[in-house]
Amino acid sequence: LCYFSSCSSWLPQSVPLRGSHWQSSLLELRTSLPVRAQPKKKKKVDVKKEQAQKERMKKKLRKLEKAAPELIPIEDFITPLKYSESNRVRSLPALSPEESERRVLLLKKWCLFKQKQDEAEKKAIKALVESQQEALKELRLESEELYEAAIRRDEGLFPFERDGPSYTPPLPGYDPPEGKCLDITKVYTQ
Amino acid sequence: DALLGCHRSYRSRPTHGIGKFKYLLPKEVPKKRKEKVQMKEIDAGTEHQYGDVNIQMTSYDLCLVEHFAQYVHRLCNRLSIRVNESYAMPTKTNEVLFMEEKGSKMQLDAVLTTHQRVVQIRGLSSTFAPILLEIIQSSQPEGVHLLVKQHTEADFKSRLKSRPELEELLAEMS
Repeated sequence: LCYFSSCSSWLPQSVPLRGSHWQSSLLELRTSLPVRAQPKKKKKVDVKKEQAQKERMKKKLRKLEKAAPELIPIEDFITPLKYSESNRVRSLPALSPEESERRVLLLKKWCLFKQKQDEAEKKAIKALVESQQEALKELRLESEELYEAAIRRDEGLFPFERDGPSYTPPLPGYDPPEGKCLDITKVYTQ
Repeated sequence: DALLGCHRSYRSRPTHGIGKFKYLLPKEVPKKRKEKVQMKEIDAGTEHQYGDVNIQMTSYDLCLVEHFAQYVHRLCNRLSIRVNESYAMPTKTNEVLFMEEKGSKMQLDAVLTTHQRVVQIRGLSSTFAPILLEIIQSSQPEGVHLLVKQHTEADFKSRLKSRPELEELLAEMS
């Protein structure tokens, strides 16, 4: 340690002194002794390698982009194999004439009911449209600008959401058990 | 030269059509090229008309939602509203677990499948839209959730398969 501190006294003045302890060599500021074992890699090879890598990536990208995107297959429309492989066939019992008669009459009644329902719906649509047209006509006679505003489309209409009616109203004071819902949908990747 | 280069067919001669044989081979059906799934242009609509509108019906019951979608499609046909597409969205499966009363283990209650059908219409006039909504609501069956909204690109993209490799490469490139 004492030698270090008195280095400035016994060294010849021609040798440049170390400015601070951060300067690791006696050479000038920019040069330094090679610390690594192997010589420094040439810059050309690096650039070439990088370019080649970029080209490969671009080629891959082009190939992937060429393939058209596919729609996710819908599981509803694929019949499971177990239903098509089995050989068992259902044999229906023979119907008595009264039973078949009853069924035919029931079918006729159902057809009539559905026809009445459909006609009622068509009538309702017609009535709605007619009353709307009449109201618009009256409005036009009243004031032109209100009519124009009414004709324009309503931005607040969409998105429109509605839950279907339920069979029974919700039970008052029902305490549901604790639990959780896991999403196990199969994820398809291209 | 003149004899070889002659293309006249002597129609009156009995040798007319000699050498033809393609009419004897069975008819070849032209190869069906796979149509690329491309997004159709989304109509924005004018002031008095809504553009592309999606009527989405969701339910746990498959038959019910299918029949309701068919009903809506037929209704639009009857009211001469142009129907662009009528497709099904991929089904979602959910596992419902609940905690037992006298235990700490989760027990499997049921596996529910959620089905969704979409009917896409175009050119719905602004005066007729509320009437159509009213009719659809009045015939909405139990358990079927109705959602009517404008069609966007995101809706179309949700139908396609995800491509993680492409996305990775794109992230690396930029």
